[in-house]
Amino acid sequence: MTEAGCDGSRPASRSNLYGFVAWLLLGLLGVDALVWATRECWRQHSPDDYRERLHSCRQRPRDLICLGGSPVSEGIDPLWLVGVTLPDGSRCVSPFNLGLPGGTTSEFWHALRHGASSPPKLIVYGITASDLNDRRQEPHGAYSLMDWDDLASWVWARPESAEYITRHFVAARLGQAWQLFRYRDGIRMALAEWAERACPGCCPAAAEQSRLNRDYAARLRRGDGFAPNAGFRHRRYDQFKAAGGVVTNFGFLDGYRLTGGHSGYLHRILDYAQQHDTAVVLLDMPVTEDLERRYPQAFEQYRSLLAALVQQRGVTLLCGHRDAVGLGDAHFADLIHLNQDGADRLSAWLRDQLQALGQRSQTR
Amino acid sequence: MNFATKAFMIFLPCVLLIYHSLPTRRLKFTFLLLASWGFYASWNPWYLWVILFTTTVDYTAGRLIAVARTPAGKRGWLVASLLANLGLLAYFKYTLFAVQNGIWLAEMLGYSATAPDWALRIILPLGISFHTFQGISYTIDVYRGKLPAVRSYRDFALFVAFFPQLVAGPIVRASEFLPQLVQPPRVSAAQVQAGLQLCIYGLFKKVFIADRLGQDFVDVVFADPAGFAPATHALAMLAYMAQIYCDFSGYSDLAVGCAKFFGFEIPRNFNFPYLATSITDFWRRWHITLSSWLRDYLYISLGGNRTGTLRTYANLVVTMTACGLWHGASWGYVLWGVYNGLLLSAHRVWDRFAQGRAWVEAVRAHPLYRGLAWAATMWLVATGLVLVRTQDLATAWVFESALLGLGPATPGAAVWLPVWVWAMVGLVAVEHGLGGTHQPGWALQTWPSVVRAAVCGAAVVLLVVLGPWVSRPFIYFQF
Repeated sequence: MTEAGCDGSRPASRSNLYGFVAWLLLGLLGVDALVWATRECWRQHSPDDYRERLHSCRQRPRDLICLGGSPVSEGIDPLWLVGVTLPDGSRCVSPFNLGLPGGTTSEFWHALRHGASSPPKLIVYGITASDLNDRRQEPHGAYSLMDWDDLASWVWARPESAEYITRHFVAARLGQAWQLFRYRDGIRMALAEWAERACPGCCPAAAEQSRLNRDYAARLRRGDGFAPNAGFRHRRYDQFKAAGGVVTNFGFLDGYRLTGGHSGYLHRILDYAQQHDTAVVLLDMPVTEDLERRYPQAFEQYRSLLAALVQQRGVTLLCGHRDAVGLGDAHFADLIHLNQDGADRLSAWLRDQLQALGQRSQTR
Repeated sequence: MNFATKAFMIFLPCVLLIYHSLPTRRLKFTFLLLASWGFYASWNPWYLWVILFTTTVDYTAGRLIAVARTPAGKRGWLVASLLANLGLLAYFKYTLFAVQNGIWLAEMLGYSATAPDWALRIILPLGISFHTFQGISYTIDVYRGKLPAVRSYRDFALFVAFFPQLVAGPIVRASEFLPQLVQPPRVSAAQVQAGLQLCIYGLFKKVFIADRLGQDFVDVVFADPAGFAPATHALAMLAYMAQIYCDFSGYSDLAVGCAKFFGFEIPRNFNFPYLATSITDFWRRWHITLSSWLRDYLYISLGGNRTGTLRTYANLVVTMTACGLWHGASWGYVLWGVYNGLLLSAHRVWDRFAQGRAWVEAVRAHPLYRGLAWAATMWLVATGLVLVRTQDLATAWVFESALLGLGPATPGAAVWLPVWVWAMVGLVAVEHGLGGTHQPGWALQTWPSVVRAAVCGAAVVLLVVLGPWVSRPFIYFQF
């Protein structure tokens, strides 16, 4: 397997030389075709959660879509919103949680654009300060949400990050063209699970991860997009603190600045709603007191922007402050994510608020 | 720029595309030289002066040696070249080591001293150990009259900076490379095929075997030897042997393979070293271009074996100590060099004793003897590697005693012998078995193209699916 083999070889015929390259390419193409044909299996073992959420959302028309980042994906259970009165007076029957962990407002716009098969009647955007931090550039949208139109629009509107987003977009397109590369993680997970079954004890951690991934994939396909992280469900921030735990920083708010990059996409969401006669509610998501204390300036800038937006665009803002909802550290899993109890409280509170809004718009 | 990175996967095809589309030899080589300097500068542009300086000095020295009328004049220019190359190498590589030893000595004498900031800030330029040796070999060959001085600065600079072998060898001789520049190299179909195979095998060895073994097993065991049982220590040593071989020979395969895409042939660096049946045999198979460089330019310059028995052994020890120091500025490497020098000397004694004694020759030819000689050689090589892999002698002894089967069973120490580690070590054994035994029909290259393609395809699939996401730097880059 070293150069020795190549040097001491017999002279090869021309057909033999080209034969090698041809067989190699043919073999790799065959493997790719096989991986593509069995992609459903690999997707279950390592789901691309953005793509899965979009796919799930597109399955049928949604009358209510919850947009946002991980605070939304963890904190709003759409089941609570079924039956709530929508601004047009109808009852909500198919709410969907389109929360994208690790996303920014830019990603949420792309998710709405590609995830809604028809315009919803109501968009609830569970917004928080980190969504708008222009220091953040996330690659996931380029990988899983954007198309060529989105790329062109981004490059035109945001030249400062054009190189970054183009690089990730192109890398994603190339990676997705090679099926083996695209599903490598899923194949690896599946192999780990099979290996553990055949030879117990050989890779228990990877096999367990694979099982968790399959669970997650199944939850993502449940129908309403609510697939909270199992690790957050029963964790309590108050207990973490009582045990001496301290979170030193929250990277998503570091170097906070608002230069109009992400907030430009917030305007696109509002424009979309206006064009399609969709009502929009901005829900200022609850966060822990510790987080607000750690980043006071970030929250100040963010809330000023929200206030200006309400004034300029006349958008409805619900203040989901922890005191208003009745949340304490016991209802959070960490600085920003709600646990199961917290998610239930927030969802119930949101249902009441939306119900009141719906009824109010009817009386008008 | 690491070979096993996305940046290099983009860099190489772009350079190849432009290189092959340029019409003339002059344009091709000028472009290749600029690309090679760009490759070097991608690591740190401020250090480009190092390679430019040594290139200019060696080129000028070569020209001046060629035109000098007296032996003293020739010698003077040779010394100037040696001083420039070795001076730079000594400054960048050994200053801190010397300062630390000075501090240690001062403390022994009762003085207090601290390392100056400038010494702590010295960064080892990429590949300096390799390209300075190439430059030295050129000026010595010109001095010895084995090679005419090269006229074109561009050709000479390309010989020094040719990017596939720039950062970690193989150490190419001017006599091997410069003649290939006379005509614009034409890439043959055989070179494309061999290059492709070598690149796939090289990446597989580096990323799939070396990185996985290093990251998920060897580093873990060496970081906490007390936490593991002697059996795990022994397997970690075996895995480390496989890791360092796959890391460096993987790089060499990539370098040789990439050079073929440009139509160049550069020498091989490994010849299945773990099949060696003596330490002398091992050094003929491991890092061949360095061993042969040290033999031709140091050992022979010291007098080689023409200056009496004792002096020959001293020359061997000095040469191998220099080999140790070349690998790293630390006492561990010095010790490893001395150890190998002593082993080579001991083997030479045994060889001289055996010569002319028919019964000894008969014993040496017996398969059982060969098997035992192989096992002893591997044990000696492993013992040497323990010296450089561990940080102190106490830890070295933990691993050494495991290799000797004397490791004490520590209560609570984990016996960790993962199947996949055995499988990876097994792959290296299979590679040696197929390629190194020279049995007719065993060498992979002689197999039908469909089988070779299947092996390469399987390597690609394994690499993509099971390789680590991010490749680690090549171990030999640090030398």
